[in-house]
Amino acid sequence: MTKNAYDFKDYIRPRFFPHIWCAGCGHGIVLGSLLRAVHELELDKNEIVMTSGIGCSSRISGYVDFHSLHSIHGRAMTFATGVKLSKPKLKVMVPMGDGDALAIGGNHFIHAARRNIDLTAIVMNNKIYGMTGGQFSPLSGQGIKATTAPYLTIDNEFDVVELAKSAGASFVARSTTFHAVEATKLLKKAIMHKGFSVVEILSQCPTYYGRRNKLGDAVQMMEWYKTNTVKIGSKKLEKNPSLIQRGIFVEKKDAPEYCEEYNKIITAAMKGRG
Amino acid sequence: MTVSFMEGNEAIARGAIAAGCSFFAGYPITPATTIFASMLKLLPPKGGICVQGEDEIASMGYCMGAAMAGRKVLTATSGPGISLYSEQISFAIGSEIPMVIADVQRLGPSTGSATRGADSDIQFLRWGNTGGVPVIVLSPKDAEDCYLLTVHAFNYAEKYRCPVFVASNKEIGMTRESVDLDAIALPDLIKRTPYKGDNFIPFEAPENSAPPFLPIGCDTLVRQTSSTHGPDGYITIDPDTIAQVQQRLKDKILANEEELTLYEEKIRPDADTLVICYGVTSRAANQACDILAEQGKPVSTLTLKTLWPVPEKLIKEKAKDYKNIIMLEMNLGQYVGEIKKALPQKEVRFYGQMNRVLITPKTIMEVIENE
Ligand SMILES: Cc1ncc(C[n+]2csc(CCOP(=O)(O)OP(=O)(O)O)c2C)c(N)n1
Ligand code: SF4
Repeated sequence: MTKNAYDFKDYIRPRFFPHIWCAGCGHGIVLGSLLRAVHELELDKNEIVMTSGIGCSSRISGYVDFHSLHSIHGRAMTFATGVKLSKPKLKVMVPMGDGDALAIGGNHFIHAARRNIDLTAIVMNNKIYGMTGGQFSPLSGQGIKATTAPYLTIDNEFDVVELAKSAGASFVARSTTFHAVEATKLLKKAIMHKGFSVVEILSQCPTYYGRRNKLGDAVQMMEWYKTNTVKIGSKKLEKNPSLIQRGIFVEKKDAPEYCEEYNKIITAAMKGRG
Repeated sequence: MTVSFMEGNEAIARGAIAAGCSFFAGYPITPATTIFASMLKLLPPKGGICVQGEDEIASMGYCMGAAMAGRKVLTATSGPGISLYSEQISFAIGSEIPMVIADVQRLGPSTGSATRGADSDIQFLRWGNTGGVPVIVLSPKDAEDCYLLTVHAFNYAEKYRCPVFVASNKEIGMTRESVDLDAIALPDLIKRTPYKGDNFIPFEAPENSAPPFLPIGCDTLVRQTSSTHGPDGYITIDPDTIAQVQQRLKDKILANEEELTLYEEKIRPDADTLVICYGVTSRAANQACDILAEQGKPVSTLTLKTLWPVPEKLIKEKAKDYKNIIMLEMNLGQYVGEIKKALPQKEVRFYGQMNRVLITPKTIMEVIENE
């Protein structure tokens, strides 16, 4: 049960609009899913801190009416860690582009996961660098046309879910902008999860990724998410095991959380058992 | 009186604690590691946080996040780490995030000599931010200074909302000496005081000053951005607003030069030579001048504890009556240009050395006597 009907205007800073995203960009849908999650969880705006880096995706922190820290490319996770360690009661969300999270920020991503610190990482994966004009990212994969790969990419991609899992994240999920309602559900779980949570949301960049790779407009790209992804454990998956899976991959409720563990150190040290 | 035998690095850590620091993050690097080690001993028993990042970039990020959440923070590194800090230093300057950074300098460039001192980073600290915004850099000459200047550094960080550097040196940081911390008169502490009014405009400040502070995570929503922003904290493209913000960032440091000027002097009445120096070199210089005085050759010394902003007024005032000015540095001349700029009418002689060994009093006596 939520207090009022959802109105996105309660959660944004109108001053920042119109937003910078291109028509059809998936990042706005991610924003919508996230605001709904916050609304449904009945969180107070001032108990949320959003830290982001630099990129089209990272602009999201300017649009939300929470505490926000629009920082520098790839390092959002580090600022988030400092805030969270200092004030563990705050809910700290870290939306990132795929380049932001896994190229320049890859090291911070895996180490935050390893520590299982209670942050919510949202990887807005459009498989491309939008803001700088369509260069390939560590999530592009092979055979992709990008500004920096005119002869097609030869780099292999990371699988965010596998990477997050093996690095130690205690909640890992994936959805897409086509599945905005599902994304809200996953985000709610991720935000409430105690420990490092990762939600990858496939998000279309029609301007660079779509156009260069002849994937059609935003609607066609979202339809691609519909036909090429499948829920974990579904019948459809059994028949089409090569499709991209959506849903919750990891949910470990009792993995030790970093701030709580650190608190134990402080308690011991204060008793002189340091 | 409680005299203890401690190295400069521990004195920095103790200074930080005395100043109310409650958060440290760092990455191990000689010769700064023992600051981290000391903070580990000092902070958690007081309920503070002391953590190791996955690298310097991360450690700086943690510190900045903690500073914005309202804590007084310290980090410590040496040349290679300062290089990695630099993008965040720019962010801290642009977004007016208070913090103290100890740079225990080693002989550069690059990895250089981890266990050999030099005042390698004096210009890097000044110009290591994109935007060329003035910064505050303090230079201790011994363990006692490490303690005292760290407290000053925290005060300046609070008052001017900026990163403040303590430019130590391996030779001070890792050498134990006797100090009586209790006997050192500390300045009054500037506390982190959150803004109390109703209408918080995050970057609105009177001329030559820093804006009031509100930590992230309290009732009033706080927004920060590394992008060019106006007083209201929103990204702006308005040339006038941008110009005003840039000017204030510059003025809040430069217009307060006198308040930020820390120094020590030993004036000898009949001297016609003034030796100007900073850091560990000043100890050798003072020894050399003591010996010369005994020999009936009086020479005065001026030890700069504030390197940036350049204490120009002080330098002009102190140098005005001297015929000869000699500048000594433990590098090949990073700061002498600032002295020459301050004293355009004088001939400034320079001796610098960057060869992994300290400049000795004997060398300094030779330099002076070659006048
Ligand atoms: C240190 C640094 N290097 C490079 C840049 C330029 N830059 C800005 S955003 C970006 C990549 C954006 O791609 P991504 O993170 O995938 O987000 P998107 O724009 O696609 O949402 C780059 C390389 C920067 N701002 N800082
Ligand atoms: S360039 Fe791509 S990612 Fe950036 S706003 Fe446009 S569609 Fe979105």
